[in-house]
Order: sequence, then C-alpha cells, then structure tokens
Amino acid sequence: MLKVEGLTVRSGDVELVHDVSFDIAPGERVGLIGESGSGKSLTALSLMGLLPEGVTATGRAALDGPDGGGDDLVGVPESRLKRLRGRDVSMVFQEPMTALNPLMRIGAQVAEIMTLHGTPRPQARRRALDLLDRVRLPEPAQIARAYPHQLSGGQRQRVMLAIALANEPRLLICDEPTTALDVTVQKQMLELIAEVAPALLFITHDLAVVASVCERVLVMYGGRVVESGPIREVFTRPRHRYTEGLLAASKLTPRGTRLPTIKGSVPAAGRFPGGCVFRNRCPHATPTCEDVPALTGDGHAHACWHPAD
Amino acid sequence: MTLYLLKRLAVLVASTAVAGVVVFAFMALLPGDPAEIALGVNATPEAVAALREQFGTDRPPVVQFLDWFGGLAQGDFGTSYVTSAPIGPQISDRLGVTAVLVLGGMAVAVAIAVPLGTFAAVHHRNPLGAAISAVSQIGIAIPAFLAGILLVFVFAVKAQALPSGGYVPIADSPGEWLRSLLLPWLSLGLVQGAVLTRYVRSAVLDVMREDYLRTARAKGRGSTGALWRHGLRNASIPVVTVLGLQLATLLIGAVVVERVFVIPGLGDLLLNGVAGRDLLLVQGVVMVLVAAVLLINFVVDVAYHLLDPRLR
Amino acid sequence: MRGRINAGLVAGGVLVGLVVLAAVVSFFWTPHDPTLVDAARKLREPGGGYLLGADKFGRDTFSQLMVGARTTLYVGIVAVGIAAVLGTPLGMAAGMTPRGWLSELIMRVNDLVFAFPALLLAVMLGAVYGAGTLTAMIAIGVATVPAFARVARAATLQVMVTDYVLAARAAGRGRAAIAVRHVLPNIGSVLIVQASVSFAIAILAEAALSFLGFGTRPPTPSWGRMLQESQELLFSTPRLALWPGLAIALAVLGFNLLGDGLRDYLDPKLRRIRAEG
Repeated sequence: MLKVEGLTVRSGDVELVHDVSFDIAPGERVGLIGESGSGKSLTALSLMGLLPEGVTATGRAALDGPDGGGDDLVGVPESRLKRLRGRDVSMVFQEPMTALNPLMRIGAQVAEIMTLHGTPRPQARRRALDLLDRVRLPEPAQIARAYPHQLSGGQRQRVMLAIALANEPRLLICDEPTTALDVTVQKQMLELIAEVAPALLFITHDLAVVASVCERVLVMYGGRVVESGPIREVFTRPRHRYTEGLLAASKLTPRGTRLPTIKGSVPAAGRFPGGCVFRNRCPHATPTCEDVPALTGDGHAHACWHPAD
Repeated sequence: MTLYLLKRLAVLVASTAVAGVVVFAFMALLPGDPAEIALGVNATPEAVAALREQFGTDRPPVVQFLDWFGGLAQGDFGTSYVTSAPIGPQISDRLGVTAVLVLGGMAVAVAIAVPLGTFAAVHHRNPLGAAISAVSQIGIAIPAFLAGILLVFVFAVKAQALPSGGYVPIADSPGEWLRSLLLPWLSLGLVQGAVLTRYVRSAVLDVMREDYLRTARAKGRGSTGALWRHGLRNASIPVVTVLGLQLATLLIGAVVVERVFVIPGLGDLLLNGVAGRDLLLVQGVVMVLVAAVLLINFVVDVAYHLLDPRLR
Repeated sequence: MRGRINAGLVAGGVLVGLVVLAAVVSFFWTPHDPTLVDAARKLREPGGGYLLGADKFGRDTFSQLMVGARTTLYVGIVAVGIAAVLGTPLGMAAGMTPRGWLSELIMRVNDLVFAFPALLLAVMLGAVYGAGTLTAMIAIGVATVPAFARVARAATLQVMVTDYVLAARAAGRGRAAIAVRHVLPNIGSVLIVQASVSFAIAILAEAALSFLGFGTRPPTPSWGRMLQESQELLFSTPRLALWPGLAIALAVLGFNLLGDGLRDYLDPKLRRIRAEG
C-alpha cells in the first residue's frame, strides 16, 4: 500500500538519509528503529512533506488507494501534498506537551482537521466527540471544552491520536509517541495505537516498544536501512552486527547476559565512514567493509559483509 | 478571572492614589507659597493670609491633598492660582485631542508593524526580510519630533500637500481635521511602528518554531495557513505587552509632537502651564497623564489574561 | 562562551566612537567658538572654514555639533549612572529574595516609577526648580531605574539557581558575599547591554527635553535645541535641522547597535533577557 523506493534526504551537501526502500501492506504495522541521528524521523517527515527548511527529499514514495490509484508523497508540490496530509497520511509526534495550540479548545483542534478536508463544521464537531471517546478519553464533552494545559501528557497524546485518526487515513505515522510519557501511561497508549491504526509506521529507539506493537521492523543506522524483516526473526536471529549490538544492549536480553553497549557514539551527520556506515564501531569490521554492502535477503534482509549466524 | 480582575483593579486604584500623593507632594508642598508668589514681594501679610484662605493653602497638607484628590474623581481639578480659571474643563477639552492623536499614532504603528514584522519573520532568511529589520533599526533611532520635522519638510515645505501645523476641530471641517492630523499621526506612528516591527518579528519567529504549527501543517494546512490560524494569536500575546508600553510612550511622545505641530492637546496645556508658572494646572495635567499610563498598564494586563487561557 | 564579533557591534562601535571623538576633541579645539554670536555670519552658507554653515545667530553649526556631542554624552553618562547605581542593587535584592516582602515592595515601587516617564519628571522638576541640564539628567536617570531593576532582577533570578550559587549557599556564605562574588560578575554582561540600550533612550529623551526647553539651557549647545531653533527656518534653511537631526539619529543608532552587538558577543545564552526601555 505504501511503497518507498530510493528515498534520499539531503541538507545542502550532506546526505542524511540514503536510498531507503520499504513497503507497508494494508493493515500492516511496521517499526522503524535506530538511535537518534539515524535518520528515522527525517524518513517519516519526508513522507509527510514536513521536512525542516533547507532539507529536501528525493526518490519515490507512493501511497496506493483502495481503488488502485496512487498518490506520490515525495517530489510533489506542497499544494497537492497538503490535501493528502491529515486525510490519507497522519502523524502523531513525540512531544504531546507542545504539539497542541495552547490558545484553542481541544474540540476545535480535533474538528479542524476534518473541516480542512471538507467536513461541514457541525458534523466535524459531533465527530470530534466520537473520536475523543474512541481514544478512550473519559467525558469527551468535557475534554472537548478544555484547553491543552488542563490535560495531562497522556491525555494530550490521545487527543493527538484522535486528530490523526479523524479522517480515517490509510497510513498512520507515529514518531516516538510514548517517549515523553510515564511508563504506566505508555503501555495503554501503545495498546491503543496497535488497536486503532490502519497501517502503521512506528518510529522509536525502544526495542521493547517495537516488539509489542509491530509485526515487521526496519533497523536504521547512519541514514540507511541496515536490516529488515519480521520482528520475531530479526529480534531472535539478528544478522547485522549493529542490530546484534542494539539487541545485546537492550532490555529484551535477559539480565546478566547483556553485553556492553556498542562502542563509541553515533557520528554527527555527514561524518559517517564510507562503505559500511557502521564499520568504525563494529567489532567485526575488516577491509572488505570499505565497500558498501547491499541490503540482501528475501523477507529478512540485511546489509552486512560479516553477518551473525 | 473575576478574582484576578478585582485584585488588579485594587492595584490600579492603590497605585493611582500613591501616584497622586507623589504628584501632590512634589508639586504642591515643595515649591513656595502660591499666595506669596501671586501677590509678589510687596504684599501685606494680611493680604497674603487672605489669599491663602481663598486658595485653601492655609489648611494642613493632608486635608489639602484629600480635597484635591477627592475632587479629581468628580473632574474637579481646582482653580488656577494664576488665571483663576477652573482647571477641569481645560483638561477635558484637551484630553480628546491628545487621545485622538495617540490612538491614531498607535493605529499607524500597528498597521505598519504587524504586516512588516510578520513578513520579516516569515522571510527572515532572504534579503528583503533582513532589509526590513535594518530599516526598523534606523526607524528606532529617530525621535518622534525629528520624524515630525522631516515629514513637515517633505509634505509641507517641498510637496506643499499638507499643513505644517495647526489643528482644525472635526466639527469645523472633517476634511481639514484629517489633514491637520495626518502628519502628527505619521510622526508618532512611524517611529513606534519601527520599534513594534522588531517585536512582532521576534514574536512570530518564536511561534514559527512551535510544535503546534507543525501539527497544523500535519493536519493539511499550508505553512501560511498554519501561521494565520494558529500562529498570529499566539504571537500577539507578547506583542500586546509591548503595545501597552508603547501606548504610554506615545502619550509622552504626543506632548512633544503637539509642540512641533502646534496642536492644542494636553502636552501643549502642560507646557503652557509650566511657562506661565501655573503649578496647579501642571499638577493636574501630570496627574492625568500618570493615571493614563497606569490605566493603560491595567488594560494590558487584563488583555493578557483574556488572550491566554493558561492564565485564566 | 563568547560570540564572534559581529557587523552590528563594529558599526555601533564606530558610530559611538565618532560621538566620543567629537566630544573629546571639542574640549581642546573646535573650528570656531560655538557660542559666538555674529550678525555678520547670520545663516552663512557652508564653505570657507564653515563646514556646515552657520545658524540664525551666526554660530558655526559644526562647532555646535561637536560641543553638542559633549552635552549628549554628559547627560547620558550621568543619567545611565544614576539608573545603574540605583537600579542594579534594587534588582539584585529583588532577585535574591524572589518571594520575600522586599522583592514585592521593590517591584511595586518600580511599577509606580514606571508610570512617571522621563519627560513628566523633567517637566515637574523644571516647573518647580527651573529646567536645566541637571534636572534633565536626574529625570532621565530616575525614569530609567525601573528598566535596570527589571533586567538585573531577571538575570539574578537565573544566576541564583545555578550550581555554583547553590554550592555557595550550601557552604553557608552570606547573601552579601554571594551578591558580590557570584551574582554581580555574572549579571555584568546583561547590565552592560542594558546600559548601552538605556544610553540610546537617554539621548532621545535629552533631545526631546532640549527641544521643549526643559534640557540644557542656552548658550550651551545641544542637539535637541538646535533642532528646535531650526524649526522656524525649515522653509528657508532646512540644513539647520538636517545636521542635528542626523547627529541624534546616528548616535542613537550607534548605541542601539552596540547594545545588540554586545548582547550577542558577551553572552549568546543571555539573549533571552531583553534589554528594555
């Protein structure tokens, strides 16, 4: 349903995301994981056409309609993109505390996304209440009259989800939607997202979160997809040495067998080595790694010259 | 909100009263005896005493203050020691002229600053946006009376399109009234507009970086639409504060501009009072101006609370 | 961390430098006696030793501008000095006891003084004592105190929650010691910026007061009064208004640019605390 091919994001001369390709099937929930600076958020923003000033995307990303017609998301003019944004693709951001307009009532902010795409105002108002109910906010009528500062972070993120779902989009993108929330609230929020999302692209640095929400995962490092495949396979039998290190250092590995974290830190944008972008931090790197490894494999793919077994 | 309003109102009344004490102490108690001044050095003690009684300055200062300050509430500013004319009517005649001058100047400033400041913020990366910032920096450096002189030179001396001064009441001729006020409005408004442009620009720049603007775009708004619907009201909150400070500045600027354009407003009355050593008149006008500044601050604070639901 | 030297800082420095240079040189030398009235030179055109011509009393405009720079700086220095000396300790005291009665009292008085702009104070002082340079300086200085106090308070509030002040307080250092050793040095750059911005405002106020006849008395030259004297001749000799007007605008521009430039140079982090008028 979503088909991304050769997506590349640049800021001036610096390449921030390089040749990323992936598909999402209708109803499929795909995770995109990586450390900060891996390019995962930029990948998501380029699908929304919301890249910051001075950052541009090239490549192809097409959203197939149920009737077979396709909508391009990259390299099309803003006037066409803005008709798709919020109607066919929606996004929930990381920071619920600042994502809502502090001067506008919640109900109006939920209704806005519907009126923008042609729903008459009274109908949008009514539907806003249904949506608030659907994201399990208690007393929707009261919440609709409230201002953002009167709600908790978890409540605000539910409002953001209600806004994102309002026009029944074909694809929902969530960028670290639970990172800023308390642990107890996080779990409920994740369950809700998994339940209501049509097709989902879920961005996070937290492996446990991906494991609980998604069916398939893409691992990004240095602006490239280094491994992809079904969650179960990738997490139990990682092939790329970066994924291996990430898993070993995570909470998913039983205590005591946890390995130390990956050595060094993520280089700044544009400072990644040529060839395999991970080779300067990889314990298995050899001169072969100076050549770029291709992402190979059916179903479970990896881009590594010396994959783990 | 009601509680806040009441509290703020109490502060307004209290600070006006304290300001009244300051003005009274300064103007009425410090300088010499108005009766002696009025009668000159050769007056007999009996005559001075009689005049003192007539002025009421023989009473204790506290009584005098309460009498004066109490009178203000009813528009009674006392009777001039110099001209024997009641002061209240003179002030109320002039107040309207100054108010029109100040509000017109403010309107000019806002009409300039909001579009220019917003434009400069949206285009802060390109030369035109930077040029607006630079021009506003120069505008700030020009005092209102200098702007007035420049405008007179251009529009009255060179183009001969507008009068260089004078004031025509609106009742006499609305057209002439407008013509007589155009240059004074511009003198006040251009300079304040330059100052305000900088604040609008920085407020809009701040808002443009806010997450909720990105949310609005994610909903399907273009960047201009998002700024209009969600940005400008948020940006107006800091601007309103500056606007209040500026209104106070304009009120004072009007005193000077009235002198440049020979407009019979409060400033003109004040300066004539000083020239004629009419201290009670000066005292009254100063009090009106100070009270106006305090009232403006009050209105700004309340507006601030109305605009921002987080403060309600 | 210091910012880099920026274009505004250089431009501001040059303009302020020119004003200072004119003022200093005027003590030793001016082309002519700026106060010498000479009917023979009345409204003399520029040229022949009279660079910018002469006014209606035959006084040399260029010499008047030079000595006027002195008046401007003199009023500015004294007024900003009054504001800094009174406003800084008050602002610091309010910032160091943010919830105390002292802080509340200081800020209330501050708000009250704020309602008395420089021009009103000068008119009141002038009406009672007779107007002059001294009353103008005092009026501008007192009216500028609230701006200093507010900025000093805001900066002090920030410094008071830094680790080194918390450590000093934990170590039992007294308030006065903390104020002198930690707070003052750390709010210094903010105060310098405020001084520069206030100087610009003081120049504007002095010019306005002199224009109204509440500033420097004749015969001492002052830019504001030169403007006022030129107004009636605007139709015949506009250059008499041009030069003092330009001098005022450039001096104000210079101090504003210097203030903005210093803010970026001294401490980029403190940009958020705006110097205010």
